[in-house]
Amino acid sequence: MEALGINLNLFLAQLINFGVIVGLLWVLLYKPVQKILNERTARIEASLREADQVRQQLASAKRDYDAEIAKARKEAAEIVAQAQERARAQEAEIIKQARSEADRIREEARAQAEQERSQMLREAKDEIAELVTLTATRVLNAELKATGHDKLIEESLAALGRQN
Amino acid sequence: MSGRMRFLVIAIVLLAVAVASRFFLFSGDPHVEVAAEKLFSIGGFKVTNALFTALVVDIILVVLAWLATRNMQLVPRGLQNVLEIILEALYNLLKNISPKFIDRAWPLVATIFLFVLTANWLGLVPGATSLGPCMAKEHKETARLALVEEGPKAGSIALIPAAAEKHNPYTTCPEGTSLIPWLRPPSTDLNFTFALGLLSFVFFTYWGFRNLGFGGYLSKFFNLNGIMSFVGIIEFISELIKPVALALRLFGNIFAGEVLIAVLTFLVPLVLPMPIYGFELFVGFIQALVFALLTMAFLSIATSGHGDEHHGGEGAHGADASKAH
Repeated sequence: MEALGINLNLFLAQLINFGVIVGLLWVLLYKPVQKILNERTARIEASLREADQVRQQLASAKRDYDAEIAKARKEAAEIVAQAQERARAQEAEIIKQARSEADRIREEARAQAEQERSQMLREAKDEIAELVTLTATRVLNAELKATGHDKLIEESLAALGRQN
Repeated sequence: MSGRMRFLVIAIVLLAVAVASRFFLFSGDPHVEVAAEKLFSIGGFKVTNALFTALVVDIILVVLAWLATRNMQLVPRGLQNVLEIILEALYNLLKNISPKFIDRAWPLVATIFLFVLTANWLGLVPGATSLGPCMAKEHKETARLALVEEGPKAGSIALIPAAAEKHNPYTTCPEGTSLIPWLRPPSTDLNFTFALGLLSFVFFTYWGFRNLGFGGYLSKFFNLNGIMSFVGIIEFISELIKPVALALRLFGNIFAGEVLIAVLTFLVPLVLPMPIYGFELFVGFIQALVFALLTMAFLSIATSGHGDEHHGGEGAHGADASKAH
């Protein structure tokens, strides 16, 4: 035993030393490490739970958003349809007004033209009558004697009036 | 130059350096002492270098623990991270062997691992086992590995009685004294390995009794159940051998490693000891792990009754683990 170095005092010293270091490491190392590992586990679990909640909230928000967007799209489509309908009605109205205006203007123009034509004809008739009278007067003065030429003039005028 | 050629040249140069070092570097006889050597006494109590190293290991572990845990963060970094990785991996490994008892065994088994690992690796720090005071040789009935200088076996290394030792011409120690290294891994001291073995034995036996009851635990070894009564006796003997086996396994592996490095350094001082150093780092780790795992496995076996083993309970795990080593 002595040659192998086995000695009761040294044996006990090693035993006690090891016992002491177990205690020291238990307090200084294992407990704090265990504590931090537990804390980390708790934190990770809480974070995972929170992440799950956030994911659910996000999904719910996404659903709401999609619903809102769909609703807005529908409303927008309705508004556009209404606007188009209104625009079509206005267009028809405007075209109708424009047509009636155009008709009116055309009618007026036509009436005015007719009036101007009638007036022109009347004036022309008068001038022609005057001219004819003058011409006839001059011709008849030369060729006819005073009897019966007034009758001839009236007949000529009546024939002229019929032609027009 | 191709890769193969370069490798060949490097190998030849290293071999040449190794062979040459044998002739111009003399380290004296390898220092191989089975018993731990006395460094000093405190009030009549002999403090050996193995005990001194155990105290140094205590200090290293306490300082490391303090540095790692003084400002713990939820997001670990640096030393805290390293220690957490080691402890968590060890915890999970041990938990597989005995999930039920891991929390009770954890402080002891984790300390076994950390302490033995640190102690084993401390012995591999260059200079750790070759620096120390010169002290008068104790004339005791012990033998040392030394170079045989005379006779037919001259030039070889053999166990020679301490009394027959001659003064080492390459040491700086005066005649009549020899160098006692300050540090010596406690695993190379039987006092330490037996203390650890006994502690482990007391621990798993205590939990065996506590878990199975006094009668329940003893009935594993002593029963009148035909052939099982004979098996029980064998189990009882093997139970008593467990602490001895634990102690001698650790001592044998680490002591052999120290001797191997010492002898190899003596024979071929350069190059050749390098891979052995690497190998001894591995052995130091494995032996620390094996001691911790076996303590856990023995605890698992001790706390499971007959039925558990047959039904593949914890006992079966433990038995597998113990067979693996």
